[in-house]
Amino acid sequence: MIDNSPEFRIKKAIGTTVMLLLVTFAALPTLWALLLAFRAPDAVFEPIWESPLKLTFDNFFNITRSDFPKALMNSFITAGLSTVFAMLVGVPAGFALAKSRVSGKFIASWILLLLRMAPPVGFVIPLFLLYVNAGLIDTYAGLVFAYMTLTLPLVTWSMWNSFSQVPDELIEAAIMDDASLTKAFLLIALPAARPGAVAAAILAFLVAWNDFFYSLIITRSDTTTAPVAVMNFISFDSVDWASIAVASIALTLPILPLMAIANRYIVQSLSGAVKG
Amino acid sequence: MGRIHLKDVRKDFGEMTVIPPLNLEIDDGEFVVFVGPSGCGKSTLLRLIAGLENTTSGAIEIDGKDATDLPPGKRGLAMVFQSYALYPHLSVAQNIAFPMRMAGLDKAEQARRIDNAARVLNLTDYLDRKPGQLSGGQRQRVAIGRAIVREPSAFLFDEPLSNLDAALRVGMRLEISELHKRLDTTMIYVTHDQVEAMTMADKIVVLNKGRIEQVGSPLELYDNPRNLFVAKFIGSPMMNIIEGEAASTQGAAALGVRPEHVTLSPDQGLWQGTVGVSEHLGSDTFIRVDVDGVPETMTVRAPGKVRLNYRDRVFVTPQEASMHRFDAEGLRVS
Repeated sequence: MIDNSPEFRIKKAIGTTVMLLLVTFAALPTLWALLLAFRAPDAVFEPIWESPLKLTFDNFFNITRSDFPKALMNSFITAGLSTVFAMLVGVPAGFALAKSRVSGKFIASWILLLLRMAPPVGFVIPLFLLYVNAGLIDTYAGLVFAYMTLTLPLVTWSMWNSFSQVPDELIEAAIMDDASLTKAFLLIALPAARPGAVAAAILAFLVAWNDFFYSLIITRSDTTTAPVAVMNFISFDSVDWASIAVASIALTLPILPLMAIANRYIVQSLSGAVKG
Repeated sequence: MGRIHLKDVRKDFGEMTVIPPLNLEIDDGEFVVFVGPSGCGKSTLLRLIAGLENTTSGAIEIDGKDATDLPPGKRGLAMVFQSYALYPHLSVAQNIAFPMRMAGLDKAEQARRIDNAARVLNLTDYLDRKPGQLSGGQRQRVAIGRAIVREPSAFLFDEPLSNLDAALRVGMRLEISELHKRLDTTMIYVTHDQVEAMTMADKIVVLNKGRIEQVGSPLELYDNPRNLFVAKFIGSPMMNIIEGEAASTQGAAALGVRPEHVTLSPDQGLWQGTVGVSEHLGSDTFIRVDVDGVPETMTVRAPGKVRLNYRDRVFVTPQEASMHRFDAEGLRVS
């Protein structure tokens, strides 16, 4: 349907304007951070039109000499491991919840939702007390386990949903073909739910990657993750805005390709990828 | 081989009995159709035979051996599902190979059987495609191919044609019948479409609320329905059922006459009525007649083209030899 009436064009123009405004509003901090990252330290607070050419790469070199690269690596390790473990447990759990005929699924769904909705502070305090006694403060194991309180319910919940969209007949066909339940799961159900699995893994990784709170409480110096390390640029007497800007960019860049993949798979997994 | 024997098989879902104890014997090489309205338990019965559902009680024997507790894959049966249930991420060849892969057959044998099946089912050009790139009929053939290569002792079809359009359905119906003739393997076929049942079956099992209403060849059921349910279910258009006074004068609580066993006449006959809407099919004409004193509209089949106008008065006479009489319980009297 093509509507060329003046009223429709006006509505469309208003809609476009509002959307552009919103996009600008959302993109402004990112643009600002980009700009800051290339400004000489003494020009950070000068209006850009007064000294447009005071640009430098020094901020990038400076940050490589700080603790930040190590923190970035910690982020990769902890977010990565917690994603892997959450997938190893959550994917089969989602399959079981979607396809088994046990009663009590309703309760399971409530517990999972509760876990996903509970504020992190609810977990952090008991975890902290536990970790102090178990010697898990400032360890990878401690942080990975803590992240799994976020990633595991997320993966289980979304895989439950993904596997629910895989027709029962597909698994029954595999079982009729003399596949064991494990083979039916690995060879048939999992590939059929692949878009959902990729989306779940990426979302889990991002949740852990973006975490600030758990890391702040549980880590000290050895395993500090990047979001917390950014705070180190705020010292007693000054704030290193340029480094903070560079660090934010360094935190964002690795997840850009993930977002691109996720975008495709999330759309696919929502629109039901197992047609035919 | 493919003899299947159900002995007092019963299935409950929770409190509800879906299939009360039921006995059925299926001979080797038979084409058996389970037919009935939706919710009559025909699919459940098939799934019990397949092993996808556990029996509540009773026993299932396949080729003389007790298979009641065997897992589905070990029963030597192959199933074709309504939704085809093709593995979406595997190519046609890989789909067909899957059961052989599970059985651990060597590659050369796998390739030979895939080739064979593809030739029989006209799939040779599509072996590298994914199921998503195939038409409905082709998908159905892949599903059948996946069943054939297992060389099962019986094929189970669960409403395999109901997702296809009408023209394709007729074609596939013939293909499946031909396949049965060629393989000479037992086939159990579930459908709600009595035309499929009539055209394909050696033996029809009419189910209603989990009970077997009648078992017999298509013509047996057509000519001698054991009760009103079968009488109404088998045959298209439906058998005319006349109740009330018109029936009791003929000595029955309900009288059944098939549309082709009614004679129309302009001047004499048993009952008089008014012509309603006629359906002209070219080869036949189905004429609706509102018989005086009978609440149900009768359908009369007349060969060729009939010139009768809406609201014409006609006489209607059921052929005495082809009348079906039922008692008050709906059981056949004569």
